[in-house]
Amino acid sequence: MPGKMVYKDKDAFLEGLRTAVRDGVPPDRIRTITPFDVPEAERILSRGRSKVRFFALLGAASGTAAGFAFTILTSLSWPLIVGGKPIVSIPPFIIIAFALTILFGALSTFAGFLLLAGLPSPRAIRSDEDHGNRFVILVEEEEPR
Amino acid sequence: MRALLERKGVLAAAIAAGGALVAVLSRWPSPGASGSLLLSLLFLIAVAEGCIAAAAAGEMVNARWVGSVRKELLSVVPLLLLAAFLLLLTIPFLDAYPWARHPGKWLRKDFFIGRNALFLLLAYATAMRFAASPPGAEEAKRRASWYLLVFVASQSLTAFDLVMSLEYPWISALLGGFFFVESLFAGFAASALFYLLVQGRPATAPEPGSRSDLSDLSVLMFGFSLMWAGLFFAQFLTIWYGNIPEEVGFIARRVSSSPLRELSVAALLLLFFIPFLVLLPTRAKSHPLAVSLAAVSVLSGVAIERYVFLAPAVRIFLPGLAIQLVCVLLLFAAAAHRNPGRS
Amino acid sequence: MNRGEGGMETPDRYAKAERDILAAMGKPGKAWLAGAGFAAVLMLIGGVLWAYQIREGLGVAGYTHPVNWAVYITNFVFWVGIAHSGTLISAVLFLFRAKFRTSFNRAAEAMTVFALMVAGLFPIVHLGRSWVFYYLLPYPNQRQLWVNFRSPLIWDVFAVGTYFTVSLVFFYVGMIPDFAVAQRWKEGIRKKVYKVLSLGWKGTDRQWRHYAMLYLFLAAFATPLVASVHSVVSWDFAMSILPGWHTTIFAPYFVAGAIFSGTAMVITLVIPLRKALNLQEYVTDDHFESIAKIMLFTSLIVTYSYIVEFGLAWYGENPFETEAFRYRIAGNFRYLAWAMIFCNSLVPLTLFVRKLRRNMAYLLIVSLLVNVGMWLERFVIIVTSLAHDYDPYVWGTYSPTFVEVGISLGSFGMFFLLYLLFVKNLPVLSITEIKEHL
Repeated sequence: MPGKMVYKDKDAFLEGLRTAVRDGVPPDRIRTITPFDVPEAERILSRGRSKVRFFALLGAASGTAAGFAFTILTSLSWPLIVGGKPIVSIPPFIIIAFALTILFGALSTFAGFLLLAGLPSPRAIRSDEDHGNRFVILVEEEEPR
Repeated sequence: MRALLERKGVLAAAIAAGGALVAVLSRWPSPGASGSLLLSLLFLIAVAEGCIAAAAAGEMVNARWVGSVRKELLSVVPLLLLAAFLLLLTIPFLDAYPWARHPGKWLRKDFFIGRNALFLLLAYATAMRFAASPPGAEEAKRRASWYLLVFVASQSLTAFDLVMSLEYPWISALLGGFFFVESLFAGFAASALFYLLVQGRPATAPEPGSRSDLSDLSVLMFGFSLMWAGLFFAQFLTIWYGNIPEEVGFIARRVSSSPLRELSVAALLLLFFIPFLVLLPTRAKSHPLAVSLAAVSVLSGVAIERYVFLAPAVRIFLPGLAIQLVCVLLLFAAAAHRNPGRS
Repeated sequence: MNRGEGGMETPDRYAKAERDILAAMGKPGKAWLAGAGFAAVLMLIGGVLWAYQIREGLGVAGYTHPVNWAVYITNFVFWVGIAHSGTLISAVLFLFRAKFRTSFNRAAEAMTVFALMVAGLFPIVHLGRSWVFYYLLPYPNQRQLWVNFRSPLIWDVFAVGTYFTVSLVFFYVGMIPDFAVAQRWKEGIRKKVYKVLSLGWKGTDRQWRHYAMLYLFLAAFATPLVASVHSVVSWDFAMSILPGWHTTIFAPYFVAGAIFSGTAMVITLVIPLRKALNLQEYVTDDHFESIAKIMLFTSLIVTYSYIVEFGLAWYGENPFETEAFRYRIAGNFRYLAWAMIFCNSLVPLTLFVRKLRRNMAYLLIVSLLVNVGMWLERFVIIVTSLAHDYDPYVWGTYSPTFVEVGISLGSFGMFFLLYLLFVKNLPVLSITEIKEHL
């Protein structure tokens, strides 16, 4: 039953969603548009957890590695003792590695979000379609076999 | 067992018996008997005050998880009296402190014991008042904040007096803060263990994305492991970078010989790396095995770290220490086990 | 007046919240113009004085041996500190699920970004040759020289740079769904700009799901970051062996102080904002009470640090340390030190009284005093330790010149100008989150 259902408030919307799922509409053909995040809807549609978290982990790990590699290798490339500290002084380098862990982690999470959420979307920017503050359920056509 | 503990006076008797055993061991004719007493006393203060502080902090911010472990956490309050008693037992041992032969205004035996005992008793009194107030009430919050103020003072004194003055004139202004954060950390670890002991294994696997009291506690433990690491690093880095002989000596004595070097590394692993890495995955935060692993790691980390603090300055009688620590742990378990009051 | 496709069919409360909050973005009134004009003049004066200093050299600042760090570094630490509450309120309170964050998070995030822009200028102002500031950045150069990663000043570059970038991303990400709302209410070029800024946000389930995870992770990244940044700033001092600077407690003490001054600045900014824009319905007295509690809590930590610092200086019987703290409290700058203790430790204690916590006029006064007190704290720490170190032969004193005063006032002008521009151009409250809690 492909189509579009529009609700004025959240509870009616959730009820509609539950009915649709109970009626046997495959959850992966249901799309919703809401004015704010409705975690209950995700649970009804039993969506998995967002893959953004892998981007966070990857970014953070590469930041740590980059931080240590950068500080250690540049220090070794011109080994000059400053202030009586060893050439490879791990305690201060931890600070740089920590900062880069956060920086790379945050930027990669943001990039991952843009990629997974399909943003920025030039088509959506140009389009005038707008659902205001309404809750919308869209059921997509079954793909032809 | 539980029925026995529920009977009036049994817990008091158990505490008295445990105290007597620890007292006898501290008089054992073996070098280091009183050193082991000091260590088990430090562990007892850290965990007992930490448990109550965890409950008080949860009360202050209306944390939901407090509801399920409040009773257990607050049942350790009588152990603070035991701590005050054990503190008095250390009096003959005070000669081991480097300042004992040249007492000053602050570091002199009577004032030293007096103020530490006073703050333990104050902690006991404020904790009792807090425990007596109904959860969630405005009154409970006010009493919780009083306890927390005393807690901070008491832990700071423990750090500066009982531990730092062993290495007089070595100074670290952060040690007091480090102690009360660590104590709170231990308190959260104990809360998680109490939760698992009391509630048992959750009947059904939690839904992904949902939050449970256990996962809230895990998040707190995870956050505190990071905070602990931050404080440890701030302390270490300042001393390492300044490289002033009288400061660096403290670290040098603890990392230049075996087995202290290995134990220092172990404390770092147990208090930061293990809880941090174990609790990193979301799923682990509500997995009983992972959480208890992290909590046990934290508590044993506290004990080992206290050993690392004391060992270069004091002789420690290891068999006595082992018995005393077991005794303290059993008392914690008994106190928490006494309250089955939920269906 | 809702131009969105059938916007009024939806429950009125959503549209009302949008209208109330976006009303702030209407035509500027006289008060706004006067404020912005005043701030712009201050900023201009600061800019002219900086140009003068660049032309004449650092001699026009009051630096004398041995006090070679003074007002500029004080301003740097002060503004970085102000920046801290933004992330605290946004990230930490988000992780703790404190609902009252919604009232403050946008204002606080904007404050973070602007305060960091101002703070970032001061190390450059402080440089003798400001135009070679890029020597601080690690970039591949002809002589294959790299920066000294063992220097706390380089840690600052990384910490503050990371903090600025992450705060900016956090600020922007929070506004994406709000831009999609704002474009609905606007016409012409502004509509287009908001549309582009919203990146084509539609609010589909896919977008929300990834968005929620993104926001959680940004909060989780920002929380340890916020503690590390002011720790690094404190290590600019603590890594030296100067009495009064070399203390292990500096990192947590500075972090607490930063959050303290930051919450004070949030209160200073949001009380007038709420009044001017009639947002009492969304930013309630209860919310102010909660944030006043945070201010009280951090004030207690700062007071604890004062006590421990002074106490241990006395306990250790180290003559240099003892003298440094005697000088701080009883030397040339004693009035400033007393004022600092009064503003930071004594005045906030009155917030234990519930009635005073809920009195907006009183809260505003306390927050202003705390701002003054925290600026003085940094000044006292920096100047007294430098003026009075190990060797009595090089003891000296310091007083700022009109150039330093003017540039400092200019920094306030820049901050408030940016803030006023923010109020008129971006949604001042998180519309999406407020609708969620309605």
